[in-house]
Amino acid sequence: MRRRAFLLLGLAGLAGCATSTVPPTPQTTGPTTLRFQSLSFQNPTVAATKRIVADWNAAHSDMTVRLTQGSFDSVHNQLVTQFMAGSAPDVIHDESADVLGFAGQGYIADLTPYLSPELRAAIPQGLWDTVTTDGQIVGVPIMMQSYVVFANPTLLEQAGVPVPTGSTLTWDALAAMARQASTDTAKGLGWGLRQPTATVMSLGMNFGGRFFTGTGDTAAVSIGDPELEAPRRIHDMAWGDGSLDRATLTQSGSDVLKGFLNGRYAMIVGGSFLAQQLTETAPPGFRWTVLPALAGTSAQQAANPQTLSVPVDSPAIAQSARFIEHFVQPANLAALTQAEWLIPSSVPARNAIAAATGGQNGWAATLAGAQNMVRPPFQSVTRYPLWKDQIATPALQRYLGNQIDLAGLRTQLTEGWQQVAR
Amino acid sequence: MVDAAQLGTGAVRRTGTGRPREGPRRRRGGGGDAWPLLLPALLPVALLSVWPLLQGLALGFTDSRAGRNVTTSFTGLDNYVALLDDSLFWSSFRIGLIWALSVTVLQFVAGLGLALLLNADLRLRWLTRTLALVPWAMPPVIIAIMWKLLLNPQYGIAGGVDWLGSFGTALPAVIVVGVWAGMPQTTITLLAGLQAIDSSLHEAAAVDGAGLWRRFWHVTLPGLRTVAVAITTLDFIWAFNSFGLVYVLTEGGPGGQTMLPMLFAYDEAFGAGNFGQAAAMGNVMVVLIVGFLLFYLRSQLRSER
Amino acid sequence: MRTLGRPVQYLALAAYLVFLAFPLLWLLSSALKPAAELAIGNTGLLPANPTLGNFAAAVERADLGTAAWNSARVAAGATLAVLLMALPAAYALARFRTRLKFVANGWVLISQVFPVILVVLPLFLILRQFRLTDSLWGLTLVHAVYALPFALWMLQGYIAAIPRDIEEAGAIDGAGRARILADIVAPLLVPGLVATAMFTLISSWNEFFFALVLIQDPDKVTLPLALSRFVSSEGQVQLGALAAGALLATVPSLLFFAAVQRRLTSGLISGAVKG
Repeated sequence: MRRRAFLLLGLAGLAGCATSTVPPTPQTTGPTTLRFQSLSFQNPTVAATKRIVADWNAAHSDMTVRLTQGSFDSVHNQLVTQFMAGSAPDVIHDESADVLGFAGQGYIADLTPYLSPELRAAIPQGLWDTVTTDGQIVGVPIMMQSYVVFANPTLLEQAGVPVPTGSTLTWDALAAMARQASTDTAKGLGWGLRQPTATVMSLGMNFGGRFFTGTGDTAAVSIGDPELEAPRRIHDMAWGDGSLDRATLTQSGSDVLKGFLNGRYAMIVGGSFLAQQLTETAPPGFRWTVLPALAGTSAQQAANPQTLSVPVDSPAIAQSARFIEHFVQPANLAALTQAEWLIPSSVPARNAIAAATGGQNGWAATLAGAQNMVRPPFQSVTRYPLWKDQIATPALQRYLGNQIDLAGLRTQLTEGWQQVAR
Repeated sequence: MVDAAQLGTGAVRRTGTGRPREGPRRRRGGGGDAWPLLLPALLPVALLSVWPLLQGLALGFTDSRAGRNVTTSFTGLDNYVALLDDSLFWSSFRIGLIWALSVTVLQFVAGLGLALLLNADLRLRWLTRTLALVPWAMPPVIIAIMWKLLLNPQYGIAGGVDWLGSFGTALPAVIVVGVWAGMPQTTITLLAGLQAIDSSLHEAAAVDGAGLWRRFWHVTLPGLRTVAVAITTLDFIWAFNSFGLVYVLTEGGPGGQTMLPMLFAYDEAFGAGNFGQAAAMGNVMVVLIVGFLLFYLRSQLRSER
Repeated sequence: MRTLGRPVQYLALAAYLVFLAFPLLWLLSSALKPAAELAIGNTGLLPANPTLGNFAAAVERADLGTAAWNSARVAAGATLAVLLMALPAAYALARFRTRLKFVANGWVLISQVFPVILVVLPLFLILRQFRLTDSLWGLTLVHAVYALPFALWMLQGYIAAIPRDIEEAGAIDGAGRARILADIVAPLLVPGLVATAMFTLISSWNEFFFALVLIQDPDKVTLPLALSRFVSSEGQVQLGALAAGALLATVPSLLFFAAVQRRLTSGLISGAVKG
């Protein structure tokens, strides 16, 4: 009897905690302090961030920004609890896929009324799409990475393979080059696919692979020929003619990079940010370049940019939005993304980097490829992260290790979704 | 919060002092005098320990989830019906059972071996004794970091194999770490049990001509029975509910191979924001664990008769 | 065991010793290896060029220093709160015959069965009402409350060991309950209080789960939390500093166990314990 009373009391207590529509937080108009949590951890980026904040604070003593350091690994769980407690920072640094999820829960402010027309024009629509949901713009994309092909011109020339120019590089051309450049001492292609899913999902868009239909909780997986094109080509290059070094398929990108620097591969595919390691650790006299963007039926890749957002419960939404505008000024954004070796979202910032670097160190091709970044369909699928970790990654690893065939891959990816979805 | 350290030392304390004489005085027998002394402790415990637990149990019957404008309503058994179909939950439950059973059994066997050695007349017992306690002295998070360094394919002694990151080896590797972390509590408890066995029983058996193995089987093990049942029960509960060690080691990966039920519930609550569902998982865990334990304890008591 | 042969026994003992000691030695070795040596990898147990640089690096890192300071504050606060709450309550439970005694002692065991995930969400909501989420005060309170049952159990034992006659004598002399507690019982309890304080201190210092859930502000994280997040996104870990930091974080626990271990095991070895 007493137990039932406790139970009912508990439920009553719970009901008391939940409310139906929470009224908007009153906005402050006087002097205020804005809390900004940044996730960048590399020393030059941290320095650039501090400088941007210091510049702002010098010019706006009534809206000082307090900078704190977060981490990519823990930011999601941190925000879940902070949103519940109403204690999230005023300016949140996160990724667009994650922010969309929180926006769906109603926690992110709509920035549309606060964004200047210049800013709207400076960032391509494809990137704005990654932060738009239900007609609301819930964040400002700042920087992102793409997958590029790094090449060793010396090894290519030795094999009689011309270094391609032009705006795109087809997969067929890549396979041909890899075949021709493979020798006894060096393979044509190395590819660090220890974590294969992000690469396959992104480059799958080269062939129009969507992987999912629908959005949110009702999305369903759909694996057809377009989706399987990219993994099939990678598999065939490794197990068909051997032009792709099989050992690299279970290594990480940085490990394959070390092999590339030792002259073991004529080309490697990896995140564009690997250019940093190449620039900083290449032996003297080592030549490298970034090839034009990979293309199948198109050169599209998945964009999952880092974003700055404002929580809807912040008492200073307008002020935070103004700080974000300052943060993404071309000069500031260029300095930040150059330090981080990522691609800035805004076109003026890209131009600034192109001018500052002269296109050296792979910047020319990397920046040119940025125009192909569009919002991927899987960004708004609720159970995608779980499917990625528990179904897609093991299945792709098995396929690339030649333990299952293409039909088996299709089956595992499709049936695995039934396990994950509710 | 009660970790092995507290229990172990408490056990020694307990058995060391013996029962206080309650005496025939009834003057202070009533509870009335006690309440003002108890209140400063009772209130916070009731508010922050008992009440949240009850609410948590109740939460499993609602659809509570993250969201700014969300209403929580009573949904009865809906969460549990959904759990029946949730193959990932049952997979994590299976992994939790394998983990807890393996850790408990291996700890028991290893701990018994070490306890027997410590009980024997060997040299350097002081060193072994101290080292046997080392895992107890380290917080689970540090133990996890230490083993992560040790098993790192590049910087550790793993010989190039990524024990914690490969599908087939992750769970066994994590089990080894679990056994390492839990050795002290089991060893010390079993040692106390061994000490408590009357040595005259051993001598009588030896006089009767019983060899080493028969003495072990017929004198040592029966004498250890109560202690063994107690420590394996506690070990099992602690292992099944364990969070910090495996969380820092693998976060449940790779691909969910070491996703213990507690980790899965944590992800459900703080990753996906499904609080009601996570609480339902917790409730199911409690029911199944209690059921398992009742079965185990009952069979032990029965065979004792 | 005697007839199993000495060599076999010593072999087994050696195997156990290696299993138990090796990981810690490896940690120590990693903490002493300079970054260059660690980068090569697989260089064996003994560092070629041992250095204390990693310890300096760990100590200098602002985030680890702040985290250690946070852990220390929470542990000290929780210990103080536990002592203040547990002393009178343990006295009441030890001296008076109340039904609560059974409940309180049973709670220590029962609370083990329930996974913490059940408790943490409602606890979070309750703390939110008092604005104690993401606050070191809130964490201190939680640590105190969750250490309390065991502290009560311990102190009860110590108090029960003090003969009632001493208190009776004090009562006959006309002292009130409070004076009896403060002047007569407390001084005799010093070893018990010290033991309880040390337990609570160590439990709080090492605690992970509540800190993980309740503390979100990076400036307020505790040491176990900070160490577990040491790895940065692309896996560029300062392994040496991590090992050094992990060792330093273990020092309080190790000291505590060094102090306590003789009491723990000497009683056992000499056979003074009854089953």
